[in-house]
Amino acid sequence: MTKEAVDTSVTTVRARAKLSVKDIAIEYAVLILLGAVLIVLAILSPSFFTFANIVNILNQNASLVIIAAAGTFVIVSGNFDLSTGAIYSVAGVVSAWLAVTLGSVWIALLAAPVVGLGLGAFNGIIVTRLKVHSFLATLASSMIFTTTAVLITGGSLITVTTPGFTILGRSRIGGIFIAVFVLVLVVAIFWVVLSRSVFGRHVYAVGGNRNAAELSGIRVNRVLVYVMTLSGLAAGVAAAIGVSRISSGQPLAGAGLELSAIAAVILGGTSIYGGVGAVWRSVSGVFLIALIGNGFDLMNLNPQLKDMVTGFIILAAVGLAAAGRTRR
Amino acid sequence: MKHTTRILAGIGVLALGSSLAACSADAGGDDSYSIVFLAASSQNGYNQAVYSGIKERAQKLSGELGIEIETKLQDGQFDANTQLSQLQNAGTTGQADGIIVVPHDGPSLGAAFPLGQDIPVATVLNPIGPDISEMEPQVEGVVSTVASPPAKGAKLQAESAVKYCEDIDPCKIGLLAGLLSSPLDIERVDAWKSVLGEHDNIQIVGTVEGGYDRDQSLKAVTNLLQGDKDINGIISSADQQTMGAQIALENAGIDPSSIFLTGSGGTTGAIEAVLAGTWTNDYINVPASMGEEALQQIINSLRDEEVQSVVDADELVGFGPIATKEDLEAHPEFTGEWNG
Repeated sequence: MTKEAVDTSVTTVRARAKLSVKDIAIEYAVLILLGAVLIVLAILSPSFFTFANIVNILNQNASLVIIAAAGTFVIVSGNFDLSTGAIYSVAGVVSAWLAVTLGSVWIALLAAPVVGLGLGAFNGIIVTRLKVHSFLATLASSMIFTTTAVLITGGSLITVTTPGFTILGRSRIGGIFIAVFVLVLVVAIFWVVLSRSVFGRHVYAVGGNRNAAELSGIRVNRVLVYVMTLSGLAAGVAAAIGVSRISSGQPLAGAGLELSAIAAVILGGTSIYGGVGAVWRSVSGVFLIALIGNGFDLMNLNPQLKDMVTGFIILAAVGLAAAGRTRR
Repeated sequence: MKHTTRILAGIGVLALGSSLAACSADAGGDDSYSIVFLAASSQNGYNQAVYSGIKERAQKLSGELGIEIETKLQDGQFDANTQLSQLQNAGTTGQADGIIVVPHDGPSLGAAFPLGQDIPVATVLNPIGPDISEMEPQVEGVVSTVASPPAKGAKLQAESAVKYCEDIDPCKIGLLAGLLSSPLDIERVDAWKSVLGEHDNIQIVGTVEGGYDRDQSLKAVTNLLQGDKDINGIISSADQQTMGAQIALENAGIDPSSIFLTGSGGTTGAIEAVLAGTWTNDYINVPASMGEEALQQIINSLRDEEVQSVVDADELVGFGPIATKEDLEAHPEFTGEWNG
């Protein structure tokens, strides 16, 4: 290491040590807003800070958190996956169809992640082989996937009455839904992989500067295929939870889920331009939006105002993140 | 000269096109009709059921009247503009002798009238025109409305809740609305509140949004129950929402059959739930029968026979329309016309 590099490194460390309160506020805007909403709700609603309600919030948002956590990889790599909602739908209806047809709960529930994995890999291949931007590629594939779900069900829904099918979505261990354990496990794995593994560093490198990543020997296309596959797999896992919870496969069950996941990732502070972001940020983004909905229902506030309040909070979080980028 | 030739050729092509279009429109003649069904969404169980009814009646009438009735489905993708364009196209291009619509947005579709050609239109589920409560045709071209006013069914639901609450004080009721940005749902919620509000023993503990979705309703009712677990009843504007509410109740350790629980739609799942005693009742809707009736009115109009300007959807059920376990046991042949 040259003297200059050492000096720069020391300066960076000192600069970090001298982060002002304002810098910290900008850096952790989503956590601060999340904390503020938590405090307000705890004061205003006696039902909010109860074990049952917290478990419910975690359970209700398990599918979205899993998709958003995987979506962090996609967005950090400088891409988008607009097909996660459609993958969720296909995986859900395939799972429901298998449960009704074969009567096997485990085959049915495992089929959802397998379908997700396959469709995610398909996305990865069309993005890298056809060299189509992921935004357009996944927009197109989402149409194909949604139509597939509609064709499987004939536009209707598949009601599952197979005993035990609701185990993943409704059963509990120690009062906590199994889906919450799955959520914690998946998020922990994604967190470690993105922040601690070589693959995670490659994802940041590809999103930060694709050409530089290629020149430094990173197999960019392989990274992108893995990232899109991971996103599909996550949508499949989320679908298994969702279809088990409502015991029916619906062809449009995932409609809008992809945008909610992308919104949560960006709300958390992950850069839409790639190269910057973290799984914990996306998880915080999901729960920030979820808490607003929960609070409105608990306090019996006018639901018509929910979107307006959510919009203001998203603007506040995104505005703070943008201010942070400008300062840097 | 060259210029004149081009103009003449252009006029020739236009004339040929017009004659072909005229031939195509006339191709229906008296013994064949082409009916276009504009679904709010083709990827939806309700709309599919309406279409199955249209096809069934078309087949029946073809045999009875010795005519050919061709039906075509177009997908409105739950988008008002898409459906408006489809209606305008079907009404001007000569591809249809009659049109049946399940409007995604009835007031918006009013802008398509009068259509380019004199084609009869029947609307199913919702009226077309500015007033969502007025079932009589509001625009020139609509010959029949096969529906019931949204407030009527909602009032019947609320009245059945009032009856359930007779000996309970306070009787805590939760309202599970569809989309509170939709005028139809606002009207339903207003109707619930106006009926329930007349009874001092009834307390509305919350109004939450189910979005016609099982999962969203599950979340909303779960949250509602966090605030008030000793709830006595839930009124919902759709069966798929009530299914979500049922799961939320079960998750909260509340036996759904121990409270007042109602839905709307007459789905196969709802019929099973009422028969099992899990739900108190259901507001029955019969989309396939409504589709059949809409086609009948269009064919009547095309054959200059008597047309019913309003076909009350509730009358098509044959019982109810709020159906209890006893009603359904008395009509075992009815198992629901759709699943959604």
